[in-house]
Amino acid sequence: MQFEQSMIASALIVKIQVSRVVAGVASEFKEALVACINQGHKKIVLDLGDVTFIDSSGLGALIGSLKAMGGEGQLVLCSACDAVINMLKLTRMDKVFLIFGTPEEAALAIS
Amino acid sequence: MKVLLVDDDPVARAVHAMLLQMQGHEVVEAADGELAWNVIQTSDISFVISDWMMPNLPGVDLCRRIRSANLAHYVYVILCTSKGVKADLIEGMDAGADDFLVKPISPEELRVKVRAGERILKLQQVLASKNQELASINSQLRSAHRLVEDDLKAAAWMQKRLLPQPAQQVLGIRSAWYLKPSGYIAGDIFNVFPLDSAKIGFYLLDVAGHGVPAAMLSMTLSMLLTPDATQGSPLKRFDSATGQSHVLPPSEAVRELNRRFQSKDDRYFTMVYGIFDSESSSFHLAQAGHPSPILIKKGQEPILLGNGGMPIGLWPEIEFDCFDSSASPGDRLLLYSDGVTECTKSDGEAFGERRLLAALAGNESKSLGDLVNDLVEEVSVWSGRSDFSDDISLLAIEITQS
Repeated sequence: MQFEQSMIASALIVKIQVSRVVAGVASEFKEALVACINQGHKKIVLDLGDVTFIDSSGLGALIGSLKAMGGEGQLVLCSACDAVINMLKLTRMDKVFLIFGTPEEAALAIS
Repeated sequence: MKVLLVDDDPVARAVHAMLLQMQGHEVVEAADGELAWNVIQTSDISFVISDWMMPNLPGVDLCRRIRSANLAHYVYVILCTSKGVKADLIEGMDAGADDFLVKPISPEELRVKVRAGERILKLQQVLASKNQELASINSQLRSAHRLVEDDLKAAAWMQKRLLPQPAQQVLGIRSAWYLKPSGYIAGDIFNVFPLDSAKIGFYLLDVAGHGVPAAMLSMTLSMLLTPDATQGSPLKRFDSATGQSHVLPPSEAVRELNRRFQSKDDRYFTMVYGIFDSESSSFHLAQAGHPSPILIKKGQEPILLGNGGMPIGLWPEIEFDCFDSSASPGDRLLLYSDGVTECTKSDGEAFGERRLLAALAGNESKSLGDLVNDLVEEVSVWSGRSDFSDDISLLAIEITQS
């Protein structure tokens, strides 16, 4: 699984370069995010621009990462497609994760 | 290295033996082919230098015998000729000789040819031991795989026994179902059962992830989600003062389940739990992050009920989405896992809710069992394959009396 990392203001932007975040890649995905958190990043924007589908394992990885932050800092999402947004809404994760249109908007909001 | 030197000429044999010994080899001698063959069979000799022309068994025949004997290890054979005729070389190679020496043998030629043979033997031995190692690993893997497979088959059998049994009739409703695990065992599970004289409970749940961890949690839940576990059932509340237990509304039952299944990691499940109450002729449902159930009221188009809700197991003390509906004889309700709606065809397009609703519309005359089977068939045609990447489960119920 490929990740692209960059900084906008004080936020770390992590772009997942995979289209389906499913069982096979979910744990790797979580490990990568947890590594960022352990490096001390407290403001993380997850760019879902390349993602077309997240299954229950992928969602679990997302929640696991949020829990790994231990209530300190923010993990927000951006550039999610309709299918991913629908999945997030179905499971009420839109109440748990802030979702922004672009990485810039997201970074600005949490910086 | 131990070398078997075969020659009927004792003088030549003594000279060659001396040369080999000077080159650091241990020499075993034989005066003809038959004697050599006895040595080969009874020792671990893997290097033979043999004269061609000998009484009893000529060198070329000794070579043939070695090659056809299926010995435990490879034997490197050098044949000695006195003429170096091409026809002899061809016959010797055909018999399986690895190399040739032309008499009279020069010490230097003997040295390099024996060394070349030794190198080949060493490579051959390394290869053989690697092969043996691989074969043993392979057989270990095979038996480990068989063990795992047997375990999974046993688990699948146990899981099947937890599903509603075909003969099992719950008064007031009819049910039909389908479960196809993506592997041997599923993270999806469902059931239908009477809660008391007037209420029937039913649920379908989907544990996040796949395989054994998901299946173990789904089986644990299945055993917990019964009305029989009087004091332990999250579906009822036991009043110790009266010794009676009463049925909890789905909203409370799901909240209780969520309280009990708080996991430290990201383990969770989605679920629809419902109660059909024959006294009030109504359905009461709680939806926890699970795809919306479909209600097909008699004579009407199928509709989706609810719009999601938080999954169970992630955060304590959350409220779940609940809704009610009237329920009359002939009304049907379909619960399913996202394996149905997310089932993709080869170009990646998902089956989706729209197609699911369309497949259910206008099928009132179809029996409940046929409705489920035809739907499964449609999803399977859509995906274009018989094995699905996610568990597929469907539970349909129909009110037979109010």
